Amino acid sequence: MNDFDLDHLGDVWRQQPDPAELESLMRSAEAVRRRARWGQLVDVASALVVGGVVLFLILLNPERDTLVVGGVAIMFLLFGQYRQRRLRQEELRSLTGTAEEMLDQSIARIEATVRRTRFSLGALPAGFIIGLIFSYFADNPVSGDLMRRLSAGAGLGALILGITALVVIAAAFSLMRTIRRATNELIRLNSLRDAYRAERAQE
Amino acid sequence: MGADGHGGDGGIPPFDRIVADYGALISRIAMSYEADPTLREDLTQQIFLAVWQALPSYRADASLKTFIARVAQNRSISFVTKQVRQPQVTELPEKLEAAEPNPEESAIYSNERRMLLEATRRLPMPQREVIILVLEGFDYSEIAEMLDIAPNALALRLSRAKTALKKMLEHQA
Repeated sequence: MNDFDLDHLGDVWRQQPDPAELESLMRSAEAVRRRARWGQLVDVASALVVGGVVLFLILLNPERDTLVVGGVAIMFLLFGQYRQRRLRQEELRSLTGTAEEMLDQSIARIEATVRRTRFSLGALPAGFIIGLIFSYFADNPVSGDLMRRLSAGAGLGALILGITALVVIAAAFSLMRTIRRATNELIRLNSLRDAYRAERAQE
Repeated sequence: MGADGHGGDGGIPPFDRIVADYGALISRIAMSYEADPTLREDLTQQIFLAVWQALPSYRADASLKTFIARVAQNRSISFVTKQVRQPQVTELPEKLEAAEPNPEESAIYSNERRMLLEATRRLPMPQREVIILVLEGFDYSEIAEMLDIAPNALALRLSRAKTALKKMLEHQA
C-alpha cells in the first residue's frame, strides 16, 4: 500500500460487512433498544408506584406527621426525577456537540465528582466521631435507652462499634478508589483536550 | 411514532431502519477506536444506546448520517478515555472482513483494510477523527461543521493527518 489515494482508501474502508455481521449488529441493536425501552418503562412505573403509595398512606392517615413525611418523600422523588432529566440533557449535549465540547463537559463533571468525593472522605471520620460523641452525651430517650442497652450486653457495644468502624473504613476505601479512578480519567481527558488545543494552535 | 418511541413522525426513521442503514458505519467507527473485540462489542452497544437516546433531539439541519457519525465518534472518544489501559491493536476477526467474489482480490482488500484500520487507530485523536470522517465519505464542508472548525483549519488538520497516516501505512508495508 504505497500509493496514497484517499478515495481508494475510502473504498477499502467502506467495504460492507458480510450479511452475518450485519445480522449480528441488528440483533445487538435490537437488544439494546429493548433494554433501554424497558428501563424507561420501569423508571416511570416505579415513580408512579412510589408516588401512589405515599399518597395512599397520606390519605389513609391524614395527620400532620404523615403529611410532612409524605411531602418529603414526594419532594425526594421529584428531585430524583429532575436530577435524572438534567443528567440526560447534559449527556445529550455532550453526545451531539463537538469532541472538544464533550471533553470540556466531561472534565467539569469529573472535577465536580472528585471535589464531592474528597469532601465526603473528609466528612466521614468527622461524622463518625461526632456520632459517637452525640450518642454518649445526647440527653434524649432514644439515645439514652440505646446506650443503656449497649452497656448492658457484654461486648455488644464493642461489637457494634467495631462493625461501624469497619463500615466506615470500607466506605473510606471505596471513596479513595473513586477519587483515584476519577483522577486517572481526568489525566487522560486533560491530555486529550491538550492534544485538541495543540492541533488548533497549528491551524 | 414507532413502537420504540422513535420514527414515523418528524422524519426520523424507525430505529431498526437506522441500524440497517448505518450499522456498518457505527461498526467501523467502533473498530477504529477499540481494537479489543470484547470491548468493541461493548462500545458498539453503547453507541447504539447513545443513538437511540439522542434521536429525539435530531433536527434535520444536518443529515442523519452526520448526526449518527457525530454521536458515534463522541461516544467512542468518551469510551476510550474511560479505559485504564492504552488502546491495544489486534488483528481484525475473520468475520469482520468483507466478503468478496474473488478470493485473491478479497485477500488484498482485506489486508489493505486491516492495515488501514491499524494505522488509523495509531493516529492522534484529533487527526483520527478527521480521517475517519473523510474515509466515511463526508464532504469537507460537513466535516468542518461537525468539528466546528474553519474550512482552512480543516484542510491543515487533514493534511497533517494524511501525512501521519501515509507514514504509518508505509511503515507497515
